[in-house]
Amino acid sequence: MRPSVRGSKTTASNKYFHTVGVLLIMKRMAKGALALMAMSSMVWLSACGSASKSAGAAELGALDPANPTKITFYSYSLAYPTMKAGMEQLIKEFNDTVGKEKGVVVEGVADSTMQQYKADISAGKEVDVVQHTFSTLDSSRLSLGFKAYEDIFPKDQLDEHLKGISPNALELGKIDGKMYGLAFTFSTPIVFINGKLFEEAGLDPAKPPKTWDEIKAASLQIKAKTGKDGFGLTPSNGWITEGLILSNGGQVLAKDRKSADFGSDASIAAIQMWKDLYHNGASAPGTENELAEQFMAGNLGMYVSSTALHSGAKKAADAGGWKLYGAALPQFGDTPSVPVNSGSVLAVRPDSAVKTAAVWEFIKFVTGDRGYTIITSQIGYLPLRTGLADDPNGLKDFVEQNPLYKINLDQLTRIQPVAIWPGDNATEMAKVFTDAIVKSVMSDDDVKTTLTTAQNEINGMMP
Amino acid sequence: MSQSLDNTIAPSLSGGTIIVRRRLSKKKLRRFKPYLYLLPAVALLSIWMYRPLLYTFYLAFQKWSMVPGTSPVFVGFDNFEHLFHNKSFIDSIGNTIFYTVGLLPFSILIPMILAVVTDRMESKSKNFYRAMFFIPMILAPVSVSAIWRWLFHPSNGLVNYLLVKLHLIKEPIAYFSDPGFAKWIILLITGWKMIGFSTIMFSAALTSINREYYEAASQDGAGSFRQFVHITIPLLSPMIIFMLTMSILFSSQWTFAYIDMLTTGGPYGSSTNIYYEMYRFAFSSLNAGLSSAAALLFFVVFGLIALGLNMVSRKFAFYDN
Repeated sequence: MRPSVRGSKTTASNKYFHTVGVLLIMKRMAKGALALMAMSSMVWLSACGSASKSAGAAELGALDPANPTKITFYSYSLAYPTMKAGMEQLIKEFNDTVGKEKGVVVEGVADSTMQQYKADISAGKEVDVVQHTFSTLDSSRLSLGFKAYEDIFPKDQLDEHLKGISPNALELGKIDGKMYGLAFTFSTPIVFINGKLFEEAGLDPAKPPKTWDEIKAASLQIKAKTGKDGFGLTPSNGWITEGLILSNGGQVLAKDRKSADFGSDASIAAIQMWKDLYHNGASAPGTENELAEQFMAGNLGMYVSSTALHSGAKKAADAGGWKLYGAALPQFGDTPSVPVNSGSVLAVRPDSAVKTAAVWEFIKFVTGDRGYTIITSQIGYLPLRTGLADDPNGLKDFVEQNPLYKINLDQLTRIQPVAIWPGDNATEMAKVFTDAIVKSVMSDDDVKTTLTTAQNEINGMMP
Repeated sequence: MSQSLDNTIAPSLSGGTIIVRRRLSKKKLRRFKPYLYLLPAVALLSIWMYRPLLYTFYLAFQKWSMVPGTSPVFVGFDNFEHLFHNKSFIDSIGNTIFYTVGLLPFSILIPMILAVVTDRMESKSKNFYRAMFFIPMILAPVSVSAIWRWLFHPSNGLVNYLLVKLHLIKEPIAYFSDPGFAKWIILLITGWKMIGFSTIMFSAALTSINREYYEAASQDGAGSFRQFVHITIPLLSPMIIFMLTMSILFSSQWTFAYIDMLTTGGPYGSSTNIYYEMYRFAFSSLNAGLSSAAALLFFVVFGLIALGLNMVSRKFAFYDN
């Protein structure tokens, strides 16, 4: 560059001024660029530093009560009126007790659609703990930087903490042998029953229907006698559908999780049964919210959903002057039903050793005895420390007063994990599956063709 | 010119140089002035419009989850290939056309009639009715969605209650989970909001029409309908084409909020549109590449439509100069 600048100086002075100007600007730019490079290398180095720290697995930083570490907790339960109070109590109690003592402040972020944490991670915000659903956990693990518990928390402390939690539940958040989520809020599907409508229809709510055939008969009887819908299960519910398929001997994903497998005869027969209910007036139409509202308003005889709705349903029953009963997920013939779990795991992504320590304190509290006691008694999920149900200091009284929980605890013994769709396209796969079920149940299209087409589409997206 | 300037400026020691330089800088400043005025607008447009647009084109050929710390990976035309194999995207194209065409009566026909009818009213009634039409436009989509959801609720909704009472239907209809109704309800709600905006636009355009045309036509014996056809419509033609353009280009955007709030695109994709699918790809599946590929296609197709409408405007719009 320099020689050409000198040369131009001798030919035309305006060019000279221009060139000198350019040179000066370039010099400044070069200085700026150097400064930027220096800064970016510092940032890079510091990033490397922090990465190496966090990669130094199972090392917890030192917490300082005088200078508390803030962590964020994205929770969909915080966004729903029936669950909000319980979840807020959980966070508040942690902040007021363990948090205060150890130096951790948890900030709850309501995330109703479970999209906020994704958007915030994309925007570079700090997202430390997420109440994450099961079906897309693999996709988040791959794309959103969630970490395995074994990689970041000390093994001895982790093993000690997991003692007492239902082993079935612990398996649910594991992918490739590592725990990417610890079961947090958790339930099995349950048939909520409006005792008043049952009695008006001449049915005994204490002896609820057990099989799908009995459900159909009871539903039609309620409709005929009371004029109100007898039964409701939203075709777009996703997870209960899986229980239906498994109960009839089918499966959603192949055992090796390498292909979808819901196009078998057993799966088709299960969905065909549901289609029959839907098209013959035995299953009320409506979205998930609409059916829940219909049940709470006392206008629906039976409603299959998660026990997370228990506190809301009980309040509605008390307010409406009717009694709430319950039943297990109905079965096909004599074979016991196979429910799948709903609810969430806690997925974590702390970015420093201190944050890891703070997150660990929060995890220990919310999945400990006190945490599960609040989750069960204030929200309605199952106590995953099943011993609490028999503990007089835990939930013994609560379970006795709310017998629906016994049904749920019984179902825990035969529970199967909900499908965790593999790879980057998990969200798309889950959507294709749900859409195919909705179409099979609601439209006149052939169930077999619809399910097989969807199965092939999903298999085309497999990693 | 440059030679003479060079010669004048070259001896930097001469006293006249300063004057020449001042003149030059004034001249330069004058030349740059328009650009300086344009600078804020250009800067804002560049930052908020053109940079994201160009970045979208770039991302359309990358695979990226948008997570900080990860980098886009070049994948060529893979995103476009996936897009055309994605059933929900293909379905969304049909729905986008449905919403675009379906909104035209709400953005042009009904508002034009309402504007003409209210135009002949006395001032107070005119303002009252126009305010009534405009109110839906200023309501927040979330509240609007909640109200319509209550109205159309399958078991507790007023619409079902009335239809059953009037024996028009036997069983209540679950409008938002029925594939036959979901997209029609979305269209109806969006159209209901759209009418207010369009009516105000047409009313404004009507006030600019010279009344003497109507007086002359009425003296020649033309009735109201003939006046409407031969005077009002030709003189409203620029506004009609403007609203046509707005309606076509923004129908996807205006339906988005109601799709998201009321049906989330369902049941089985029967009420989704391209906009909603782009959003889903980006923020639900975290696939910025696929979303950008859809956005690029959307940009090209709607860019062509905009160009076509521009040509139509030049050919058919009549300006009363």
